[in-house]
Amino acid sequence: MDVALKIWRFDPETGERALKHYNVEAPEWACLLDVLDIVKDQVDGTLGFRKSCRMMICGSCGMRMDGRAILACKERMKPIVERGHVPVISAMGNMPVLKDLVVDMTPFWTKIRRMKPWLDTGYEEIPEREFRHTQEEMNPIHKESLCIMCGCCVSECNSMESDPEFFGPAALAKGFRFVGDPRERAQVERLESYNDEHGIWDCTRCYFCNERCPKGVDPRDAIAKLGAESIKEGIDRDLGAKHAKWFVHSAKTTGWLRETELVPKTQGVVSAIKQTKFAISLAKHGKVPPPVPPHVADRVQEARGLHELVHSQGRAGAAGIVQGEKALSRIEHPSDGDGA
Amino acid sequence: MRVAYYKGCLASLSAKELDTSTQALAPKLGIELDELEAVTCCGAGDIHEAEPDYYLHLNARILAYAEATGANTLMTICNVCTLNLRQANFQLQNDDALRERVSDNLETVGAPRYSGGVEVKHLLWLIADGDGYERLKEVAHKGLKGLRVAPFYGCQILRPSKLLGFEDPDRPWSLEAIIEACGGEPIDYPAKIKCCGFPIIQAREEVALGELIQPIEQSIEAGADVMVTPCPLCHLSLDAWQQKLEASTGKRYQMPILHLSQLIGVAAGLEESELQFKRHVVPVTPVLEKVEAP
Ligand code: SF4
Ligand code: SF4
Ligand code: SF4
Ligand code: SF4
Ligand code: FES
Repeated sequence: MDVALKIWRFDPETGERALKHYNVEAPEWACLLDVLDIVKDQVDGTLGFRKSCRMMICGSCGMRMDGRAILACKERMKPIVERGHVPVISAMGNMPVLKDLVVDMTPFWTKIRRMKPWLDTGYEEIPEREFRHTQEEMNPIHKESLCIMCGCCVSECNSMESDPEFFGPAALAKGFRFVGDPRERAQVERLESYNDEHGIWDCTRCYFCNERCPKGVDPRDAIAKLGAESIKEGIDRDLGAKHAKWFVHSAKTTGWLRETELVPKTQGVVSAIKQTKFAISLAKHGKVPPPVPPHVADRVQEARGLHELVHSQGRAGAAGIVQGEKALSRIEHPSDGDGA
Repeated sequence: MRVAYYKGCLASLSAKELDTSTQALAPKLGIELDELEAVTCCGAGDIHEAEPDYYLHLNARILAYAEATGANTLMTICNVCTLNLRQANFQLQNDDALRERVSDNLETVGAPRYSGGVEVKHLLWLIADGDGYERLKEVAHKGLKGLRVAPFYGCQILRPSKLLGFEDPDRPWSLEAIIEACGGEPIDYPAKIKCCGFPIIQAREEVALGELIQPIEQSIEAGADVMVTPCPLCHLSLDAWQQKLEASTGKRYQMPILHLSQLIGVAAGLEESELQFKRHVVPVTPVLEKVEAP
């Protein structure tokens, strides 16, 4: 088949950026990576891109197609050619471009290392026998263990665009891979360290990471698991954690979010006073309802009863998310298999 | 069509204008609203992150009350409610043991059990194609006089598409179709599918404003008269936090922000008592003047 594509080239020596058009003949089964190989072989040997396994396992070939981070070895070209579409290929986002489609992953690896990506089993000497674990005990980190560290999730992370120091989806998913491991003994220390200013609560829940991850890791869900584990362990000093706890409190007392109290409960009284001018402007437009009488939902005692009941059933923390993963994995992803 | 209507907490309190305009508009579009009274907040992303098992139960309770109305659609008017309820619903529909446990708990506290018979749909989806779209074209008889409208989708109506799945999350079209049907001109800009920063606007204000600035500045640059959003949380940050953005950049934006049902409401000739523009922080007057101009 005849494949057309455009590639954003970048030459680090001249600093020149240019969108170049390519047309090559490729076999019907070709994926984007095959096509790039053909371009490099037959048209321009200076084209820069990373690759290794060609089978979605080494994580080298992350790049963007029409603005979406993808693995070049996962995208089939045939459906795209059949649509008559000419895709634009460029380097991933949120990382500096070194050459053409190659980005500098140094910040990525620094953040992964920051998570201490090794088990802390709490013993010095190697025990005589191996430890045995059931599949059930390993289930909580099943998805996080699938990460191939390709960087696709980081490419479009909206919080990282705004705060480049944000640990980001890949590193935090790695963090949960250890927090949730039944052999790990330093969970609390880890959670303390992940509750950094640029950690768990810096995520804006844009869900680009879940959308992009080619391996089904769902990093945003891993971050929610870390948040739930932190709160379960009483690590709630972050404004984000206080904010989250206030929602729980509202739901079980009035049923509805008590917005007037959200700012003082989240930020504390002193900073709430600093917010007064802003609050008055909101109040003028009815954006902040008067505190009394509180708006109470019908039959709110049911919500309160559920809270007590749920607490007695031992699924606090990440377990509350893990229990739903099997069911969610049964939904077909709409873009699965169509290569688009 | 009759739907169970879950308005969520913002439309019950600080974004009442979203509820009044939706209540006025829905019957004209052939949507009969059966409003749920005994329901609570869906918990936003917050209860899901703080106490996920409780999040599941609160959402199951909302679904159970929706099912008890006999309707098979639960209609939402908030992105975050849509994702929360759909996520809980898929978990309950695809795992019998989990649904039984949650239903037993619901029954214990006196709420109805849930059998999995409800689909959760945002108002946007009910009117972006099919019968709803045909009706919309008739209802929007006043038109918008070519008003230049920037659609802002927000995150949780698009992503994760595995749970939402109505349209291509990278090239959505539903808001554009509605703007056109109302006689407006949709404006394109890259940040229309990105985050407005709302979830962290209190805990990380600077990071959030770094996100909020993108849709505001890009839509102004693209020549928009007004922005429209299907989510009251996006509305709150775009409209109410715009002044903080102005304070931090020293620029003046004054970009009016409409809820989806207000934009259609203008084209359908709803009254100010239903649209309640006085509740907005950024004045909507310039938009109305343009539409009312002879
Ligand atoms: S999966 Fe292992 S063997 Fe295969 S390419 Fe990657 S590192 Fe090499
Ligand atoms: S979480 Fe997914 S997208 Fe992110 S680095 Fe790992 S495999 Fe890649
Ligand atoms: S959900 Fe959070 S971690 Fe994932 S891409 Fe968005 S901001 Fe980044
Ligand atoms: S998502 Fe927000 S507006 Fe919708 S019910 Fe939950 S807290 Fe209320
Ligand atoms: S080449 Fe290894 S993941 Fe694509």
